[in-house]
Amino acid sequence: MIELLKLCGFTDSEIEAQLPRVAAVFSRFGVTAEDIERGKQRLNKYYDLEMPGVRQAVRLCIKDLTNMVLAREEGKQKVIYGFMAPGFEILGSALLSKSSAVHVASLFPSLHFVIGCVFDKIVPILEAAERKWLKSGKIAHCGNVKTLVGLFALDLIPRPDLLVTSGFLCDTAPKAIDLIQELYGIPTYYYDSCHDREFREYPDDIRVTGLAAKSLRRFALKVQEVVGFEITDDMLQEAIDARGGLSTAMKNIHNLMDSGDPLPLSANHDLLCHTMSTLPRGKSDTGEPLAILNTIYEAMQDRVRKGIGAVEKGAPRVLALNPHHMNDPRMEHLLGELGIALVSSETGFFAPHGERDPAGEKPADPYEKLAQSLRTSLAQGLSARAAIIIEACRRLNVDGVLDKYHVGCRMGAADAMLLKDAITQQLGIPVLLMEWEGFDPRAYNEEQCRRRLELFKDVLISSRQPE
Amino acid sequence: MTLMELRELSDLDTHLGNRPAQLRAAQRKGVKVVGFFPGNYVPEEIIYASGALPICLARGGSPEPVDAALTEVPDVICPFVRAQVGERLLKTNPYYGMIDMLVAPITCQHLKKAGEIWEYHGDKEIFKLGVPHQNDAEFSLEYYADRLRVMKDRLEALTGNEITDEKLGEAITLYNRIRGLLREVSLLRRAAPPPISSLEFVKLNHASFYADPVFFADVLDSVYHELQGEKAVTKAEAPRLLLLGPNVADGDYKVLGLVAAAGGEIVAEELCEGIRYYWHDIENEGDLRRSLARGYLIDRLPCAFIRRSAKKRLDFALKLVQDFDVSGIIWYEILQCEVYNAESYFFAQRMREHNVPMLILESDYGTADVGQLRTRIEAFIEQIRKAGDND
Repeated sequence: MIELLKLCGFTDSEIEAQLPRVAAVFSRFGVTAEDIERGKQRLNKYYDLEMPGVRQAVRLCIKDLTNMVLAREEGKQKVIYGFMAPGFEILGSALLSKSSAVHVASLFPSLHFVIGCVFDKIVPILEAAERKWLKSGKIAHCGNVKTLVGLFALDLIPRPDLLVTSGFLCDTAPKAIDLIQELYGIPTYYYDSCHDREFREYPDDIRVTGLAAKSLRRFALKVQEVVGFEITDDMLQEAIDARGGLSTAMKNIHNLMDSGDPLPLSANHDLLCHTMSTLPRGKSDTGEPLAILNTIYEAMQDRVRKGIGAVEKGAPRVLALNPHHMNDPRMEHLLGELGIALVSSETGFFAPHGERDPAGEKPADPYEKLAQSLRTSLAQGLSARAAIIIEACRRLNVDGVLDKYHVGCRMGAADAMLLKDAITQQLGIPVLLMEWEGFDPRAYNEEQCRRRLELFKDVLISSRQPE
Repeated sequence: MTLMELRELSDLDTHLGNRPAQLRAAQRKGVKVVGFFPGNYVPEEIIYASGALPICLARGGSPEPVDAALTEVPDVICPFVRAQVGERLLKTNPYYGMIDMLVAPITCQHLKKAGEIWEYHGDKEIFKLGVPHQNDAEFSLEYYADRLRVMKDRLEALTGNEITDEKLGEAITLYNRIRGLLREVSLLRRAAPPPISSLEFVKLNHASFYADPVFFADVLDSVYHELQGEKAVTKAEAPRLLLLGPNVADGDYKVLGLVAAAGGEIVAEELCEGIRYYWHDIENEGDLRRSLARGYLIDRLPCAFIRRSAKKRLDFALKLVQDFDVSGIIWYEILQCEVYNAESYFFAQRMREHNVPMLILESDYGTADVGQLRTRIEAFIEQIRKAGDND
């Protein structure tokens, strides 16, 4: 364990202080000495631990997970979780800035990373949910929702005073927390919008972001009841401002990813960086993830200068639709191994130009700012999503698109075939569709993926326009 | 005389057979036909008040459209929604091809995709009717009421007719009459044995998707009065069952038929196209658009996509169990309906606590599962009979 913690960038003094805490958490998740050895191997295989900042990112994930699991035992009076709740990390940061008695966690970027990517121990959690009420098989319940249910079924994380989700992307998460309240007695809440934008209105989003802002404001009142103090607009604005640095750091990283040849960072590291930017942090605690992101960015700049990359220079450039696999790094690693440059995943592409920043005037209302994620491609209807992705493809100058659609997400999966139709019609580039489960490592079949991706790479190269 | 020998029902059959031709004739005279997807969140009253002819597009039950849709959506999308996509592609069902406008309610995450796919092809006028899934806030009601206002504007532009309060009031009266009669007919099934079978009732209800509403209300009125003096269609000892689930599409009669064949009697259907549609009337006073908004968004028994709906529907189902003297529940969900599938565990658990046995069935519109479904249904009904004998 000590070796693992050293590998993850813990200093000697930190190890002395953190070892009992981390050991308690790992033990709760059934992480054995064998798993730790395997974890070290997986970290070395799938992550570039020599790259400055990466070890610190892994370390922060372990710390974040540990803090969440031990929150009650260590005296936190109120525990609030956000699950599939865009904007929650900002409101959560406002709470953390105000009170040290509250623990706020976003479920589950750090848990997916540590328990899934590092130790490959997610499956028992998924199976626990399947034994309960989210059965396995063709029904294809979302693996992320199964993770949530499995964690409560196995009593692996403290029961919160409030569990919140949003209906920004799907009905599955709100339904799951509704049933969690009924079945486990855990208080739950949600904020919402409405997916009724017509393409004739595109890219006008004011109606749905306005509705979401009202719903978020109502949610804040609920949180006030739970934590016992007022959440003012100023507090929320301060949290937005304090997290501005994280957004800027991520933008810098993405800009280098977007243009770098060779691609300076692999997809697995991209996801790790994204995790850094989504952890709720109090005002005084944003320094740590910010420093990590800036260190990684500097290392990337250095790589670009030296012509070092995750894949060879000139590798075919691909945009992945849907986010990367959250708890299994093998597919993204395989893409790199095969020499395919995964330039970006579909996270944070805004209407109408597929940029990473919302266009137009910034709203003054802090709750409307929180609702801006509804303007990204993943939250749009099919036609608008296609329009944004096509613009993003043009901007990123990709050779092809890989849509590994997450079957648990009906919203995204339903679009797959007609997105392919739109992209091939308008851009004439190859699109590979792969049925996928973005939170379940059991979906991965190395040989099948390898064969399909090798063929895809050939198609990408042969489809390239001559210079 | 059996129900099916009723002259009015025979007239209804003839009417439905001629309906596509009638609609086309009306279109030639400039009348618009407006289709909408089911789920009870599209107020037909507004369509009717515009002078357009409302048609509910809810065909299902056959595998061809479902398979045809696989060129546009993967099979994780439910068969009912694939049928709505496939019917558009196949062009064999006249109603799907003739509509001048589609109102696509933003309800469950599958059905809203059907609207998006129709919109993607761009060959029909589409109005996406936003239905806030969080229906317990004043701002949600305002939002939905505003979307109804926009729907009214779009219908006025399509038809060239103004939707006055007077016309809207008349439409509400007409549809309240239909809902009230469906409710009355359904309530007759509290009697043991019931005077109308589930299959007959569901088909009667499905006729309302296409029929002229004035004509249909008159048919229902006759049926209701006829049934009051009618003898039972089933044996008194048939186990009385409640059907729960998302929807039974027009044509999806496999499970209803199997239950009847196994000797069970479904006496109430708590479905989108069942009780949720006809249980409540719309208040026909004051601000009518707000009244429609409240009636459709808040007062109705909510579908599973509405937040915090499981407990409300459970409580209502338990009330139905008592009111209709039900001894078992058939939970019928179509494959890939993950929201209802998640709920089925909760319902089964709670029903067990109330000593009400519940059978969970999943099916698509294929025939491959008929044998397996028959065996399970027969075993369930046998189990209920035995439990009844032991009491």
